[in-house]
Amino acid sequence: MTRHGKPIEQDHETVVIIGSGAGGGTLAYELTAKGIPCVVLEAGPYLTNDDYTNNEWEAFNQMAWLDPRTTSGSWRIARDFPNLPTWIVKAVGGTTTHWSGATPRFKAHEFAIRSTYGRLEGANLLDWPITLAELEPFYDRAEIAMGSTHVHGRKPLPANNNYKVFANGAERVGYKHYSTGPYATNAEEYDGRPASIQDGFNFQGDKNKSKWSTLVREIPRALATGLLDLRADSHVVQITHDQTGRVDAVLYLDENGDLHRQAAALVCVAGNSIETPRLLLQSASPMFPDGLANSSGQVGRNYMRHMTGSVYAQFENPVRMYRGETMAGVIADESRHDPDRGFAGGYYLETISLGPAFLASFAEPGSWGREFTKIIDGYLRTAGLWIVGEDLPQESNRITLNPSVTDKNGLPVPNVHVDDHPNDIAMRSHGYKQAELLYDAVGSVSSHRTPPYPSTHNLGTARMSDKAEDGVVDRWGRSHDVPNLFVSDGSVFTSSAAANPTLTIVALAIRQAEYIADQLAHDGI
Amino acid sequence: MAFPAKYPSLNDTALTEEARSTLIRVIRVAFPHDSFPDGPYERTADTILKAAEESTWFRVSLTQGLLTLAHLAGGDFRQLDEDAATSVLRRIETTEFFGFIRRTTVLNLYDDPEVWDAVGYEGPSVDKGGYIDRGFNDLDWLPDPRIETYTGEPIVEIARSVPLAPPHAATHGGGQSAASTSADTSTQPGATDARQGQLQHSEATK
Repeated sequence: MTRHGKPIEQDHETVVIIGSGAGGGTLAYELTAKGIPCVVLEAGPYLTNDDYTNNEWEAFNQMAWLDPRTTSGSWRIARDFPNLPTWIVKAVGGTTTHWSGATPRFKAHEFAIRSTYGRLEGANLLDWPITLAELEPFYDRAEIAMGSTHVHGRKPLPANNNYKVFANGAERVGYKHYSTGPYATNAEEYDGRPASIQDGFNFQGDKNKSKWSTLVREIPRALATGLLDLRADSHVVQITHDQTGRVDAVLYLDENGDLHRQAAALVCVAGNSIETPRLLLQSASPMFPDGLANSSGQVGRNYMRHMTGSVYAQFENPVRMYRGETMAGVIADESRHDPDRGFAGGYYLETISLGPAFLASFAEPGSWGREFTKIIDGYLRTAGLWIVGEDLPQESNRITLNPSVTDKNGLPVPNVHVDDHPNDIAMRSHGYKQAELLYDAVGSVSSHRTPPYPSTHNLGTARMSDKAEDGVVDRWGRSHDVPNLFVSDGSVFTSSAAANPTLTIVALAIRQAEYIADQLAHDGI
Repeated sequence: MAFPAKYPSLNDTALTEEARSTLIRVIRVAFPHDSFPDGPYERTADTILKAAEESTWFRVSLTQGLLTLAHLAGGDFRQLDEDAATSVLRRIETTEFFGFIRRTTVLNLYDDPEVWDAVGYEGPSVDKGGYIDRGFNDLDWLPDPRIETYTGEPIVEIARSVPLAPPHAATHGGGQSAASTSADTSTQPGATDARQGQLQHSEATK
């Protein structure tokens, strides 16, 4: 393990945060800024911006979470990428170090989908216990922290080549709500970080530090308080509890497989929506036989990964989509709820670009021959977009422990089971059609429907509810069952909404930090 | 178990130069790019051969596959034209032999600077200062679009056709019309329960 910041004794009962991404990194900064010492345990290494590389597979092998996992269900990932259900990062800063940067907010009704959409067969819909109005002040703070373009006086990003195709197509099919943001990437110098040099490679880690991540903002600032003990290469395997049912420590492995114990007054789990439930399930005990904080039976269930898909269209003339920010364009017109389209909820269209190496791997997994190679042959003349929309929580879409497959430390790997809901399929089909119409309107000669990538948005496996019977955590992300255990990542999402989730994870973490600080100050924990 | 004479020992499955050139041909037929030079295909073949050294399963599948391809080809696979060679590969595309080659090729062939040149991709950019002064916005066959947020009517978040229930109270028809259940495609001939019920009712009221 590599340690950074001010050491905290291992037998000192302190605030322990598991994970350093959007949730954990934000929480660490907000708490230390209020004078509360924290230990952050990060499973991955401490990579810095200088370590990143402008090469797709090299960067993937450097940053991605590659620990073995298994998959089941009818989703195509189980066939094409059976041991890679997600595409997230294992390093300090978590998945914020390779995210695209899109920061749309949730809409009011997306906090109340059970009430708005009605009962949908096969789905496990539930309203959030909080409203947009309650979260708005924290959305403001998150956008200011992250430097979202288009809001709070931040300049929009300029139009790159991919956006020019995207936005002209949008205009011609009658869309109105298109623009180059909001994105948490600097169009001009802001917050001590430079403007984008349009170097692309968002998914490979931003060497230029123009894109927000907890690696460039929250972690260094938390270290500067002198109250953070950041331990990289520290993979938590269990949260332990005392005889009263309160958590009292975490056990974690260093890179050599040696086990360590950190005493805890309070534990915040922010390991992303596969590892968070995995850890709670691995922490089962005679007192909590179904896993820690799982009296509802909902831990690991309602896994959501967004309805996604991509369309890559070829034109007669060059596009060079790879030049400039990988994502810098959003169309919001389809993000409304309009069941006349044949599905509940909505979706965004966002520009995307892959290099030849990733496009070959993800455009049509399993395909070969001329049908396949023409996708690559037209690379120079290709424009791309990503479709990202709400997917519905289902109880049977869930993370479980797979005892027949173990990782290098002998721990059971998580299994990710997903079946698409008919609503997800109907929405994806609509998105593909709209994207094709958009590109047709600006003269595409062909287009290709690319299936979902390994999931970058992982949500919902420890969902928020006011009731202990149907949710894992309360409106603050605090476990219903264990008073000094919190969940601080996208696992708490009661529903996925259409928006990219990072902004909402950060806003919830800022809000949770206020609550935890207040509770600690008033003996509420 | 007796091994064929061509295997003096079980681990001696070193591939011949002929096998290597057959592999290169397999890769080019499976992933045909007229603009690609030979180099990337050769390097991909060598990557596959190296991977085979490290995996027994891969090695035995590859060796047996390359040795027996001639059988399906009715002669030397390398002598077939692209159409005929493609037909042979279609017949074996579900085998582990072909799967190993396909997966490894997809992951390596396109991670090659010579391939990037051929398709018009420029590779690493940050060491050249990004594209801020090197054409990130040089597309000139479309007009420059708006980049700012739309300032007209705000987006209608819930379609006007959706009858809104009292706040958070009850369900409503809107959700039901979405793809919540499979469509009713029944064209069941003959009496249904409902019809029988109606008949009974009408008979009762006679």
